[in-house]
Amino acid sequence: MVEEIRRALNLAEARIVDGIANFLPGVLALLLILIAAVIAAVIVRYVVFRSLQGLDFDRRAEVLGVSLADWTPSRSASKLVATIAYWTILLIGLLLGLTALDAALLTRFATAVLEYVPHLVAALAILMLGGVIARFFARAVLIEAVNMRIQSARLLSLGVKWTVLIVAAAMALDHIGIGRTALLLAFGIIFGGIVLAVALAVGLGAKDVVSRALERQTREPSHEDRLDHV
Amino acid sequence: MTADVAPAQADLVVGLVSYNNAASAAAVANALRDGLARHVSGVSSRLVLADCGSTDGTTARLRHSLGGTEQLVDVAAPTTAELLERPYHRIPGKARALRALLSSAKELSARACIVLDAGVESVTPQWLEWLAGPVLAHGFDLVAPYYRRHPFEGALTKGIVSPVFRALYGVRLRQPAAGEFVCSGRLVDHFLDDDIWEREGAQVGIDLWLASSAVSDTFRIGEAALGVRRYRVQADEALDLATTLTQVVGALFADLEARQERWQRVRGSVAVQRFGEPVGAPADAVAIDHERLIESFRLGYRELRDIWTFVLPPRTIIDLRRLMDASAATFHLDDELWARIVYDFALGYRLRVLARDHLLRSLVPLYLAWLASFVIEVRDRGDEDVEQRLERLASAFEAQKPYLISKWRWPERLRS
Repeated sequence: MVEEIRRALNLAEARIVDGIANFLPGVLALLLILIAAVIAAVIVRYVVFRSLQGLDFDRRAEVLGVSLADWTPSRSASKLVATIAYWTILLIGLLLGLTALDAALLTRFATAVLEYVPHLVAALAILMLGGVIARFFARAVLIEAVNMRIQSARLLSLGVKWTVLIVAAAMALDHIGIGRTALLLAFGIIFGGIVLAVALAVGLGAKDVVSRALERQTREPSHEDRLDHV
Repeated sequence: MTADVAPAQADLVVGLVSYNNAASAAAVANALRDGLARHVSGVSSRLVLADCGSTDGTTARLRHSLGGTEQLVDVAAPTTAELLERPYHRIPGKARALRALLSSAKELSARACIVLDAGVESVTPQWLEWLAGPVLAHGFDLVAPYYRRHPFEGALTKGIVSPVFRALYGVRLRQPAAGEFVCSGRLVDHFLDDDIWEREGAQVGIDLWLASSAVSDTFRIGEAALGVRRYRVQADEALDLATTLTQVVGALFADLEARQERWQRVRGSVAVQRFGEPVGAPADAVAIDHERLIESFRLGYRELRDIWTFVLPPRTIIDLRRLMDASAATFHLDDELWARIVYDFALGYRLRVLARDHLLRSLVPLYLAWLASFVIEVRDRGDEDVEQRLERLASAFEAQKPYLISKWRWPERLRS
């Protein structure tokens, strides 16, 4: 009986040692990948920061209306982008390291995340581009409305800006597949409702005003437009 | 369109640029015919037409009135983009037309080349003599027109183009971006060799760039008093102020970038010799409601101040704030302040702090503030008072030139 117990213990010990021996290389690989990811992340953060500083990114982002600086205590858009790049590389390194552990569940998890990241990046890019376009159009409408002496110039500009932002947000959410059907329906209903309401308000409530304004616009140049300025 | 007479040598080439000017074609053609016959008959001359693709029979009317003695030069039809752009001078493809005219003048070995616009219905036969005389008889290279204008007319030229041109290029031309001028054969060669023709925006800015090209070298510059200038405008041709300002001031700022090596070395300015005395009474200008202009400025300050802060330093914004609070009776935009505002916008244009179109359009309320201030000051004043007022303004631009140079060389000082 003692022999049986000794044999069982030896078998268990061998299995544990085998298990650890099989697991250790994966852990070692994970550690090596993490160390490489940290080194790469630090280098990339430095290079990205310096490059953006050289391109005067902080000032250009402010002009474009991409208010990245508001999201960081240091109020530096360049530093924020560099930090995002740093953590992105670390995250990718962690996921790659998890696949090296050769654990099926972890591997599937890492693969799913890695497959989803491009969609997330594309959605973020759509949002950022939408923000830039919204700011551009809003500024154009504001300036033109002021030059036409429209008192509600700021309101028009905000309307344009938020319309473009909402469209961009809807496209981004649709791209990452969050609430696709509900989002599309909600967007269509709200947007269509707004347009219909405005059309009814202008068409029924202010048709005389609009008619007179259009008549003035088409027949008569404005006060300062009648001068020969050149 | 092809040349229908064999080219020959001519001392004087009279070039006529046209685009849908059927309404004024007959009057212009008759004036030119009389002018060639009676006022410059002592020199061999040739009339050259450069039409930019008229669709209203302008060319036929001109040829009919001129009796078939003229030469027609090939000008490529305006592109769709050019037709959509609607330049302030109303001639799409004007740069190509001018180049074709000057090339003809060179082929004919002309000693002088007069360029006229077929839409100017106030052309008189004497214009040919007044323009050609300084070049043929006195050896001048460029003679720009000097018009007798109502004080409120040409405000953009008086308030921005002419003072900046004088301060930066050192030459006191009252109408640097004129559609009518005369140049010597030597200057024709210089123009054709210059790189202004292919530059972006040439179709709009070519008039101004020719003048700046001439003053950037050792050419003799003069002015000829031509009297009143009246342009026949179609009802649907009127451009809004914002577009006109964007085109004209944009062309000026683009030229500053291109000639920055030159204007930073110029100090002071020289008067140009003026030939003749202004004749004729200017037409009554449209009545200007300066309170409306002030309201436009106030609206601009309220809504566009955030945009102006991209180019204007804080002290300028504060000065504009004080101006906004001023009553209509005490509304006065200081000359030095106005000069600094224009220079800051020129810097902003160069550094592309905003989309250039947005930047220039946002200048409109500030320009209206200057116009209101100018109108309040010169209303009911005589010509001499107006001239002195403009002289003070131009002097202010010259005095603020170091401000521009300093910021141009150190762009990080833009908003300081």
